Amino acid sequence: MNAPADLAKSANAGMAARFGSGQAVRRVEDPALVQGQGRYTDDVTPAGAVYMRFVRSTSAHGRIVSIDTAGATAMPGVLGVYTGADLEAAGVLPIPAAAGFKRADGKPMSPPIKRALAVDFLRFVGEAIVAVVATTRDGARAAADAVVVEIDALPAVSNAADAVAPGAPQVSPEAPGNVLAEMRHGQPDVVAAAFAAAAHRVTLDLVNQRLAPSTIEPRSVLAYLDDGRLTMRLSTQMPTGQRATLAHCLPGLSLEQVRVVVGDVGGGFGMKTGAYPEDVAVAFAAQQLKLPVKWQADRLEDFLTAVHGRDLLSHAEMALAADGKVLAVRLRSLANVGCYVTGAGVAIQLLIGPWVLTSVYDIPAIDLQISAVLTNTAATGAYRGAGRPEAIYVIERLFDAAAREMQMDAAELRRRNMIRPDQMPYRNPMGQTYDSGQFASLLAQCQTLADYDGFDARRAESQARGKLRGRGLATFLEWTGGMALEEQVQVRVTADGFIELTSATMPMGQGIVTSYVQLAVDVFGVAPDRIRVLQGDTDRANGFGSAGSRSLFTGGAAVAVASNNTIAKAQDLAAEALEASVADIEYREGRFTVAGTDLGIGLFELAQRQAGAVITADGEAKASAPSWPNAAHCCEVEVDPATGTVEIVAYASVSDIGRVVSPVIVKGQVEGGAVQGIGQALCEAVAYDAEGQLLSASYMDYALPRVDGFRGFKTAFDTSIPCLTNGLGVKGVGELGTIGATPATVNAVVDALAHGFDGSGLGREAEKIHMPLTAEVVWRALNRLPTL
Amino acid sequence: MSPIAFTLNGRATATAAEPNTLLIDLLRGTLGLTGTHQGCDTAQCGACTVLLDGLAVKSCSVLALQAQGRSVTTVEGLAKADGTLHPVQEAFIACHGLQCGFCTPGMMMAATGLLQHNPRPTEAEVVDALEGNLCRCTGYVNIVAAVQQAATVMAKEAA
Repeated sequence: MNAPADLAKSANAGMAARFGSGQAVRRVEDPALVQGQGRYTDDVTPAGAVYMRFVRSTSAHGRIVSIDTAGATAMPGVLGVYTGADLEAAGVLPIPAAAGFKRADGKPMSPPIKRALAVDFLRFVGEAIVAVVATTRDGARAAADAVVVEIDALPAVSNAADAVAPGAPQVSPEAPGNVLAEMRHGQPDVVAAAFAAAAHRVTLDLVNQRLAPSTIEPRSVLAYLDDGRLTMRLSTQMPTGQRATLAHCLPGLSLEQVRVVVGDVGGGFGMKTGAYPEDVAVAFAAQQLKLPVKWQADRLEDFLTAVHGRDLLSHAEMALAADGKVLAVRLRSLANVGCYVTGAGVAIQLLIGPWVLTSVYDIPAIDLQISAVLTNTAATGAYRGAGRPEAIYVIERLFDAAAREMQMDAAELRRRNMIRPDQMPYRNPMGQTYDSGQFASLLAQCQTLADYDGFDARRAESQARGKLRGRGLATFLEWTGGMALEEQVQVRVTADGFIELTSATMPMGQGIVTSYVQLAVDVFGVAPDRIRVLQGDTDRANGFGSAGSRSLFTGGAAVAVASNNTIAKAQDLAAEALEASVADIEYREGRFTVAGTDLGIGLFELAQRQAGAVITADGEAKASAPSWPNAAHCCEVEVDPATGTVEIVAYASVSDIGRVVSPVIVKGQVEGGAVQGIGQALCEAVAYDAEGQLLSASYMDYALPRVDGFRGFKTAFDTSIPCLTNGLGVKGVGELGTIGATPATVNAVVDALAHGFDGSGLGREAEKIHMPLTAEVVWRALNRLPTL
Repeated sequence: MSPIAFTLNGRATATAAEPNTLLIDLLRGTLGLTGTHQGCDTAQCGACTVLLDGLAVKSCSVLALQAQGRSVTTVEGLAKADGTLHPVQEAFIACHGLQCGFCTPGMMMAATGLLQHNPRPTEAEVVDALEGNLCRCTGYVNIVAAVQQAATVMAKEAA
């Protein structure tokens, strides 16, 4: 939590200078992954493994009239056919309900019961009804096809606005008017007075459309009994939480009787944070059959039943004084949270988004009213950014609208409202306290990087080629840490020459193993290949897991502390071994020496001499607050007026993520994250029809960014602004690029349409377009046709 | 089951498959080569890409029996027998062309297929060759850079 890491670093100048923090190193994860030696969940198939397949609802809302499993049961190779009633009879409990928020009438919210397999009612297309287990995948598929489920279809609703309209179909009797929970923040009276006195007011209706996280590795599960214990091999970001849910749901299992192990995870993005109904069903079958049971989601199943992200309808208003100072923001939002809601899905929209709504700006008053609305759709949950992209999209669109209304430069209007460094620590209207940030400086750096002042000439050049050019800014911050700010790391120095770090945080592609190794090299001064990081086993370590961009500033800080504790303990042991005073023992690059002599002993040799041939030490770190990474993004687009096609032609960003441990990795996080944000802006949308049928159920219908998109990012970091609330001075980075890219890109397209050729564009009418800004959406706007 | 004989990563291989078995399932299942991944069910993601007689194909869209008498190369066959990485593998590491690594084998096989037939591709040709492969982590920035770097290295080695 303090200086020892840096002191040790200077003593270990050789290795640390080459491989320690701040150095551009090759990732330790990569050699196995590029040789096909990764161990993703489905890559492991124990002898005798059998396969599960689900029969799913084809109706978005309905009553189960009958289930006929006789045909499936009679098929060769079928080992088990389970219904919701079977599971209930065996004592399988529902997945614990999301809680913590209230209905408008003050009663606790009460979401529909989430079971592994449906009982009586069906509430969205894809809901699992029957689980079939057979000796082969094909056999399980054929048997599932042989199950006959008769459904009495009921009226369904898929859109939040439709769901709260009078007379809408009711998703659950416990949510009158389909409003599951409601939250109000701020001071309505103060805000009303501010609006009444304001020189300028802008209003926008905004849609943060629903997205599919789309990890390329689908959800994947393997369950088996090992010496009477249930072992679950899962693709998950949160093994400990998974263990708790499974132990709760399955009959007769204590926490100790469940072990969750995780191999390589083929992308997380928040989608792999909580237990899914399928996980419980697979575990139940393994218990019943006493065989290893596997299930991997088809892509179709992931589109249908993995959590979706976003889905927020907002009516947003901003009041400004004549000089451009923002006086107040008012927001009325409907969050579509699906039917079998997740706790994260509700908290993200009712609480976490609002925490950052006023962002990097000194906005005195807010009035927010947000409703979590039930619909006959899949649950929403965490997806990269989780609430912050929605809120930042709202505030950044408002700033551009206000700048247009006031005919002021968009950067200048932002600058006038930014929180100054001398206001730190700054407490925002939601009670969140920022420790550090130099927002106007980042904006200025980004403007330089983007050649902001040269834009008019570039616009003229684009126009000469028949293209509409637009520029969009986003200056923003985000909250990180997942409300879990503590981590522990165990260190084992073994006689065979390795230093093992054990952590409950999880790798999922973000390169956390490499970052931990770099931090350990700082302290131990040994070659990186001497350090091993063990994660993903609830028998070894338990904790929150990896989400909310928390791993480095919590787990990384614990690596540094635990490593220093190890050296301190080993120093005592070295003093004993060398028969010298501890004060005279020096450590450098894997070796202890007695100062001023040639007496010494290697760290690993010292381990050899200990009982068990190992030196162990633990370390804990607790950040005193979330970290607040922030950035300025500037995007330029060209729009082809003939087709409506949008092309990003320039993109610059400057990020403040505090101290940088792994420069190559963080650049990859920001740029890869930005492409996800651009995906929301330009091409991605989960689409349900009015009856709740999923229209975007494959990669042919759900448009993920492909390789032909923009790749020419100019990405810079200002590393001079350390986080003051954790021992490393780092700020989270995993979600930052995604959060900024969506508003920056949309603002650029709106700017192009509003300006038009020679200023003859749509003006503020352009602000009515909604994401994703496909060619059709843009072409309709240009031709003043109704929006989609 | 029908017998099938083909060359797999340079070695003669004889096994058997059902008429409806897909090549990816033969590779991942019977043959235990799990480096080839399945990421979708509509031949869109490309995680399952392998080389069939030197051409990049999606092994989820090829029947196992179609490999009869032909040559299949998977990600496990890229490195040399002595463990030396293929220039494409080396470049993906050097350029940070992978994060979670799940799409990576398919990306590398598509890239290798390209470079075998077009050793000096333009950036546009690299993009065209990878159009059938999805990556959710990297934004493709470093993937395209890696393929270009591999092309440069391989051209030098060939010279």
